[in-house]
Amino acid sequence: MNKTLLGYVPNESPIYAVHPFVKLYFLLVVSLFPMFVSAPDWNIILMVVIILLMWISKVNMSTLKIYIPVAISMGTIIFLSYTVLGGTHPEFELLARIWGINFYWERIRDALVVYFRVLPMIFTMVFFLSTSRERDIIVAMRSIKVPFVVTYIFAMALRSAGMVLEDFGIVRQAEKARGFDPAGKSIAYKIRQYVMYMVPLFALSLRRSEEFTNALVARGYAFTGKVSRVKRADYILTHYSYKYFDYIFIALITIAFIALLVYRYGYGYFQVDQSWLLRLLRSWVS
Amino acid sequence: MAEETKKELTAEEIWTTEEGERRSVGVIHIVITALLIGIGFVVGAFGSISFPLGFGVNFFWTGIVVQQVGAIWFGGWGVIAGAIFPFFSNAIAGTPFYVSLAYIPANAVQAFLPAWVFRRFKLDPRLKTGKDYLYLFLTMIVSSILGALWSVLVVLKGFGLLTTDSVPLFIWGWFGGNVVAGVVFNFILLKALSAVVIRTTAFVKKWWA
Repeated sequence: MNKTLLGYVPNESPIYAVHPFVKLYFLLVVSLFPMFVSAPDWNIILMVVIILLMWISKVNMSTLKIYIPVAISMGTIIFLSYTVLGGTHPEFELLARIWGINFYWERIRDALVVYFRVLPMIFTMVFFLSTSRERDIIVAMRSIKVPFVVTYIFAMALRSAGMVLEDFGIVRQAEKARGFDPAGKSIAYKIRQYVMYMVPLFALSLRRSEEFTNALVARGYAFTGKVSRVKRADYILTHYSYKYFDYIFIALITIAFIALLVYRYGYGYFQVDQSWLLRLLRSWVS
Repeated sequence: MAEETKKELTAEEIWTTEEGERRSVGVIHIVITALLIGIGFVVGAFGSISFPLGFGVNFFWTGIVVQQVGAIWFGGWGVIAGAIFPFFSNAIAGTPFYVSLAYIPANAVQAFLPAWVFRRFKLDPRLKTGKDYLYLFLTMIVSSILGALWSVLVVLKGFGLLTTDSVPLFIWGWFGGNVVAGVVFNFILLKALSAVVIRTTAFVKKWWA
């Protein structure tokens, strides 16, 4: 199993045959798709495609569970924002009036459009995080010639996030061992608990910064001055090469994006009034 | 005892370089930036997942402490980390890529303002006087207002994610989430650790060293 940023993926997953840059490119370009698509049908299709890709990549789908509350809370907030906080609009079609709150068709439709725009963007991000290891991101950055210092900071940040999580666990255990138990306590109590974590976490990180620095200096690393100008061998990149299918994927993503823009602005596709899903809902609520 | 008192740095001395003192950017600053991004990644994601309002806005954003305290201690490096780490913590918490990217200016301002105020007015990061507390509190308020206005009016409205009527809720959410968490953590952390940090080589007196 390979540990990715969001879980574990088996070694034999086909996603590891793909160059890491392709995954980054997918994230950067496909995240843009929903911004140009208003009809929820297309955005739902995009989500299904991403779920299929996750399935093909053998991603453990249970990692998606942590996003269920996010999706629900985001959906609720969007719905409330467009209905309860949506104001009074006599020009819209009133579907119902409950406890003085007006529920307009146009507002519900807009809430759905926004929600199904955000969801595929989240899915794209989750796909990237659940299939990419720390190393993949570094390779992707190095392959587009991001400066060494930036890549290094990035790599160290990812590594230190893991260490902070470990430290967090240690601090938590230490506090539990001293009788600190947040189970069933109020939010105020839990906030106090955060405070008790934060100070030792910071203190531990400051200590680690000295250890990190000493280790780097001892290995001859420098980010400024003459030493930093010495050309480094990109050892990690020698393990990754572009295959013919990487170019095909990059071409497909690019063509899909160009086609999307052409159809959107040239032929007026992907508009709200072309959505069969919204038409179905419209006939159902009327 | 008298000698110990004499050795204690004043607020003015904390920010001024002594004659002959040479400070330069070192490996430790790069390491600190990376570590701050790492801490912010974890701490910010906790806030974003625990108290979400939506699109990365939440009612109690613990990441603010890394953003503001980090920038006060480590100047430009803290500002860089403070601008970047929310991008990662938001990503983990389910905020779309380009929305997170567009939040960067708001986060940069939130990190920069306290760092600038402490350097400009030579305030003591150990919070020794009422003035230190007051200025920190005011800068937290102002920076959070600016951050909230940018992120909600420019980003969320710009992406068409909010209605005009729901804008105040999100402005209050961003502002309140940052200020409340800042009040809870910033004072405690500065009070608890500043005395140690200002004596380390990582501490930044100007902006970069």
